[in-house]
Amino acid sequence: MAVQRSEYAIETVTLTKTFRDWWGRAKVVAVDKLELKIEYNEIYGLLGPNGSGKTTTLKMLLGLLHPTRGAAFLLGGSGRDARVNKRIGYLPEDSYLYRYLTARETLDFYGRIFGLPARVRRSRIDALLEMVGLTGMANRAVGTYSKGMARRIGLAQALINDPELLILDEPTSGMDPIGTRQIKDLLAQLASRGKTILLCSHLLADVEDVCDRIGILYGGKMRVEGTVESLLQHKDGKQIVTGGISAEALGQIRAIIEREKASCQITSPMDRLEEFFIRTVTAAQEQGLATSGAMSTTKIGDFLKEQAIKPSILDQLVAASSHETPSGPPEVDDKLVETKSIEPQADTDLLDRLAAAGVGHHETEIVAPRKTPQAPEPVDLPAPVKRDILEELIGRSDGDGGRTQIVDPDGGGDTPDA
Amino acid sequence: MKVAAVIIVLLFFLIPMLSTIIVGDGTLQGKLQTFASYSLSLMTTLLCILTIAISTWTLSNDVQRKYILLIVTKPISRYQIVLGKILGIIVIDAILLVVFSCVIYGLTVLIPHITDAPEVQVKQAQDEFFTARAGLTQPEDEREIQRRTIEAYNKLRESGQLPQDMTGERAMAELRSQQRMLGRSVPLNSKRIWRFHNVRVTDPKEQLFVRFKYEVAVTGPDDKVHGLWDVGDIRQFEMPPGSWKTPIEQVSRSDSARKMMEIEIPASVIAEDGFVGVVFYNTLNQSTVIIQDVELLYRAGTFTGNYIRVVMLIGLRLAFLAALGVSTSTWLSFPVAFLLTMSIFLVGMISGFVIESIDSLGIVGNLVYTVSIKPLIWMFPRLDGDYNPTRFIVMGRILSWGFLAQVFGIMVCVKAGVLTLLGIWIFSNREIAKVVV
Repeated sequence: MAVQRSEYAIETVTLTKTFRDWWGRAKVVAVDKLELKIEYNEIYGLLGPNGSGKTTTLKMLLGLLHPTRGAAFLLGGSGRDARVNKRIGYLPEDSYLYRYLTARETLDFYGRIFGLPARVRRSRIDALLEMVGLTGMANRAVGTYSKGMARRIGLAQALINDPELLILDEPTSGMDPIGTRQIKDLLAQLASRGKTILLCSHLLADVEDVCDRIGILYGGKMRVEGTVESLLQHKDGKQIVTGGISAEALGQIRAIIEREKASCQITSPMDRLEEFFIRTVTAAQEQGLATSGAMSTTKIGDFLKEQAIKPSILDQLVAASSHETPSGPPEVDDKLVETKSIEPQADTDLLDRLAAAGVGHHETEIVAPRKTPQAPEPVDLPAPVKRDILEELIGRSDGDGGRTQIVDPDGGGDTPDA
Repeated sequence: MKVAAVIIVLLFFLIPMLSTIIVGDGTLQGKLQTFASYSLSLMTTLLCILTIAISTWTLSNDVQRKYILLIVTKPISRYQIVLGKILGIIVIDAILLVVFSCVIYGLTVLIPHITDAPEVQVKQAQDEFFTARAGLTQPEDEREIQRRTIEAYNKLRESGQLPQDMTGERAMAELRSQQRMLGRSVPLNSKRIWRFHNVRVTDPKEQLFVRFKYEVAVTGPDDKVHGLWDVGDIRQFEMPPGSWKTPIEQVSRSDSARKMMEIEIPASVIAEDGFVGVVFYNTLNQSTVIIQDVELLYRAGTFTGNYIRVVMLIGLRLAFLAALGVSTSTWLSFPVAFLLTMSIFLVGMISGFVIESIDSLGIVGNLVYTVSIKPLIWMFPRLDGDYNPTRFIVMGRILSWGFLAQVFGIMVCVKAGVLTLLGIWIFSNREIAKVVV
């Protein structure tokens, strides 16, 4: 069976899994007539509470479990097909690494299974180890690693073959916030290189930050599916974030809003704990404090950048294989990449009116609020903080505390970052 | 795998220790035989247990700890995983086997040099231990024995002398062994002839050995049995003595009863067509002599060559166990797979005994036995009796390439092959990620 270039990177057709007991009696319907369609170059987040069938779905996709009914296709083929396996990367819910192998040996082992030549293997392992911040610990047995460190190696092994399709089950579980952030950035970069990613998690913040489209599973059935923006944005409410403004200006704004017969709530923006934590650790790293743990580096994308700059052997191989089979790597579609960014849109109409009221001299952005306003931030963490609109939006304070956030409770409901 | 380290250390410690403390029956040959027997059996048993432990552990552990999830999702077929596990174990076994076999070989060769033994014993060890001899026996005429047994049985029944406390089967078995002994007995002033065909010696300057054991009810005053033997092409007795092409050796000797004895004869007595006749005359004793286990032995290979083949036979056994262990662990968890494999191994160790026992019960002709138990026993590996590698070294008997090829064919290619295919089929079709509680 030739691997066909299919319409979808991942497709399931009435996928059903019933777990039976020893006597053959149906006990649990883990996945129920699931119709999952994930396009190429899409980051798809599969959400759901514990036991909702996320992992079971992934395992059926990969051929680790047999569907009771229906079928699952990866890149147009079966998850059991070696030619499909060559083009995917999988990170299970736990890292499941051989405990007595070192990080380097682990990556070498999996690289060998892919039949990568020694030279390619070595350079790629170095790049991956640096990317996941474990270069210093590369010769320690993986069994001695903490869960988060093992997770980093798990992710590195999933990338060893530069896969077209990544299937990640709880990629950030057990990871520190910096690692979590790095993985999110990595996923964004991978997507920009045309990869398709299926992300499975119940850590909503992770999914929200990186995914183009999400689906929420419950009881093995898909309850909601759509783009992050369409699901989370409140078109009817507005949120205004400003720099430090005077009480008089605030009064005027409040007056304008009251004329609109809308309720209004004014608070100072707070740091997200994530930002605060990352700043603290970065400062410690800059002072050169010793740690036996994972080092977070700025070189997150080296592995990717290296390949982007000079077409690696892998790229050539992929290009070559795309001649053999009609299935090449999906082309990078700028439009699709753009759909990922969930920057709130400025409401120019309201801005104009505010300007007319004389409050337009400060940095002001008026947007539709989201339940947890948080936009993807370009990650160059230890670098000087960029004071751009995006950062203002997520309410990052760099000490002046002079900014004010105005929220329309009628529209937004929750107070952002409170 | 701490068990591997324990076994390796044990072997390194025990084998040299055995070589120094073993005495045997006091003779050099006894010491060599006992050392070879103990050390080879010890190595074989420990390596078998190690193989079973590793082979049942490796795949089931990967599945239980879910390491396998990261393997089967890589571009590799499941049959490659199963075969890879088996081959990996065979490689480990091969390395350990070569290392320990070399240690045992070295110590065995060294023993005569560090033991202060008389010249006679050194010669005996050279002739009977540091050699690889082929043995020929003359099969007994089973049909004749059966005929005589029935005859004797009928005679007893007609005269009403059958023992009341015995079943008919039991009485028959008793009579059969009586007749068998009768066939081996040589009454006073008579002779017994054994004929051996196709005796092929590489070098006519070699020696032939007639091996036998006397059984007597009463021994002479010197506690010995006197025998007069003719060995050679006895068909020439009918020709005038001047026209003989090969010599016929005449031996007159006295030997202890109930002990294996050997008469050494120059190989020049073998007739051109490979025929050798052996005649025993019972003329010098006071009563009937029973002669058991008569065998014509001749050197058919070197000790070293035989030792290498014996080690290969052990290797074939380990390869079979590796396939068996991995195959059972494709569907069973470690402790269950280990116990199952161990049980099959232990049954294999006594399978010859089991078959003999069932045969001796006299139900060989039983249809149920033939279609059910017998094939079942056949499926088990044959590891004892003729298949016991140690025996060849201890007895100084040749392990032929043909036999080795036969074991390779049946035990490795057929039995291990079937097990491996079964394991691959199960492993390819099972749900790897299924949680079984």
